[in-house]
Amino acid sequence: MNGYGGTILRVNLTEGKITKQPTPAQLARDFIGGRGFGLYFLFKEVPKGADALGPENKLIISTGPFSGMMVPGGGKCDWTTKSPLTGGYADASMGGHFTAEMKYAGIDTIILEGISSKPVYLFIDNDKIQLLDASSLWGRNSFEVEKELKQKYGEEYQVATIGPGGENQVLYACINHDYGRQAGRGGVGAVMGSKNLKAIVLHGTGSPSVADLEGYRKAGMALYKACKDAEGLAEWSRYGTTVVTSWCDEVGALPTRNFSAGSFEQGKNIYGQTMRKEIVITDKGCFGCPSPCGKYSNMKRYNSQVEGPEYETIGMMGSNLGIGDIQAVAEANRLADDLGIDSISTGGCIGWAMECYEKGIFTKADTDGLELKFGNAEAVFALIKKIAYREGKIGALLSQGVKRAAAQVGQGTEKFAIQVKGMEQSAYATHNATAMLLAYMTCDVGAHHNRSWAITYDLQVGREKVVPEKVARVIWLQNFRPMFDVFGACRLQWVELGIDRELYVPLLEAITGIKRSWQDLEAVGNRIWNLSRMYWLRENDGFGRQWDLPAPRFYTDPPKTGVTAGQITRIEDVHKLLDMYYEQRGWDTNGIPTQQTLQTLNLTEMVA
Amino acid sequence: MVSNLDLSLMTVIIRPLGMLKSYIGELKETTVEAGKSVRDTLTSLGIDPQLVAGVFVNDEQQTKDYILQDGDVVKLLAVIGGG
Repeated sequence: MNGYGGTILRVNLTEGKITKQPTPAQLARDFIGGRGFGLYFLFKEVPKGADALGPENKLIISTGPFSGMMVPGGGKCDWTTKSPLTGGYADASMGGHFTAEMKYAGIDTIILEGISSKPVYLFIDNDKIQLLDASSLWGRNSFEVEKELKQKYGEEYQVATIGPGGENQVLYACINHDYGRQAGRGGVGAVMGSKNLKAIVLHGTGSPSVADLEGYRKAGMALYKACKDAEGLAEWSRYGTTVVTSWCDEVGALPTRNFSAGSFEQGKNIYGQTMRKEIVITDKGCFGCPSPCGKYSNMKRYNSQVEGPEYETIGMMGSNLGIGDIQAVAEANRLADDLGIDSISTGGCIGWAMECYEKGIFTKADTDGLELKFGNAEAVFALIKKIAYREGKIGALLSQGVKRAAAQVGQGTEKFAIQVKGMEQSAYATHNATAMLLAYMTCDVGAHHNRSWAITYDLQVGREKVVPEKVARVIWLQNFRPMFDVFGACRLQWVELGIDRELYVPLLEAITGIKRSWQDLEAVGNRIWNLSRMYWLRENDGFGRQWDLPAPRFYTDPPKTGVTAGQITRIEDVHKLLDMYYEQRGWDTNGIPTQQTLQTLNLTEMVA
Repeated sequence: MVSNLDLSLMTVIIRPLGMLKSYIGELKETTVEAGKSVRDTLTSLGIDPQLVAGVFVNDEQQTKDYILQDGDVVKLLAVIGGG
């Protein structure tokens, strides 16, 4: 099948059994790849009500037709599972070089199922596929494990591994690759840890077939040329995602002290330009990337190095924790990565705990003696370690995520637990940015930004406006943007360099031999969006509108400082946004897709 | 004539990238008064500063509070391109 590896690899860890099946052509037509494949297998194969950390849950890794191909940013794969953090759908996109080797080994999807009786790692070298003993790797940090496995097998072997956070099933544990790329969100690392799977080592040398080699060459080169000629390429490559830090601070979107404000008085200390000047030593890109966003940093004070921090980590572990020191932020980033916990959720949990401490709800008896005041970087470092090892009262509490932690502590702390559907909100403060607020409320994995980065639209049309155009924009982005996760490609060339998305169309056709317009592709995106909604409904009794509400802070507690001081979104407007969203989506007033909508999307049979 | 030179005025080049071109076109050489910031200059050119994500002066990112110097080349990166 053109553009695909051709194989679905199934690894049953309980039985130690490895099987292959051809990738069904119908699956490729209906779901294309990446997160489309992941959601299909999750919905079809993981039984209703499965324990996310039990043997019935599956961890599904999928490439797409652009993975490993001559496509700018074709270095993405998608990790899909039932989230132990949220109880709903989760997928996490990972860059680096893993997906290319996976494609070259002829594999479109790896389905990891069951639980191994002892720690193992999965070794794939083209057709040689084995489960090997990982007892000597268990308990060790991510970077060390990756280094050891690369030394053992060779630099061309790609490694994805969990750290202690995944082994200890911290509910937002991540999976690390390439010393700084993660499948970060939703607890995919905890699921891998629950299966006693420490790592995957992978190498492939095959060449996927393409439908039209000359067309592929021409369309691929056209896309690369567009990237090379793009205005802003040099600036973007120099600063990566940190380019927006100063802008977020300026417009009141930079999460500050647990999202109590959107502007940080020490912001300049963590801006991209400060970071570039003070700690960045080189740039780092993923497979096939013409615009590397990765920045490799050296923290002299700590005698350590890390890939990052990128904007989300700067927001969540910098301003959100009151830390105006780029070296300290980068060190917190390094600790979280190495220990294998998601830096966004970690920043969200620690921010909440710091607010509890500042308000006197926590004392040192609750924090294992840590002085959990905003700005205390040493306390943050200590707490990251405690979370990864579920150590002490505070480590165990925060390892469950902020929603569960707040429910356990009570005393009104739920109001400043910044999450939706149990996932900690990423780094955009949304007190008065209604499109971005709606994007977080309705995101299909919880409060994550990447499905619909609508905050720029708020600024464009008026941030406080609650109008159908904003809702339509959020929906369009939700249908369109995640298609890059379906293709196995990075969206940043389109987002940041402004590459014309029509350039991807002939490339997809040349690779797969199937002609598809963006209208067709957005319809696939819409289908996937609705299926993920039905997954949430299937797995959670009482699922509906209440699950889409934002953290109460955004409609009850206006910032006291910064450019958004005194500003807030009224609860009436929150519901108005949902009313319009549900109507435009073809869902009922409780946020459930109607039978007619499911029928139109040809999903009736699948969700029955 | 030398006597007509106004030393309080400086020449800078403003180069909008992407969709910001719709505000002021491809490239604009403009004069600004000494002591004016990027933010002041954007406002006087009719550009809402909040719609500019990145300001790069002579290829280094600066805040909008940067005080312009004679001969500066200022590239402006929009926030409204992607989404």
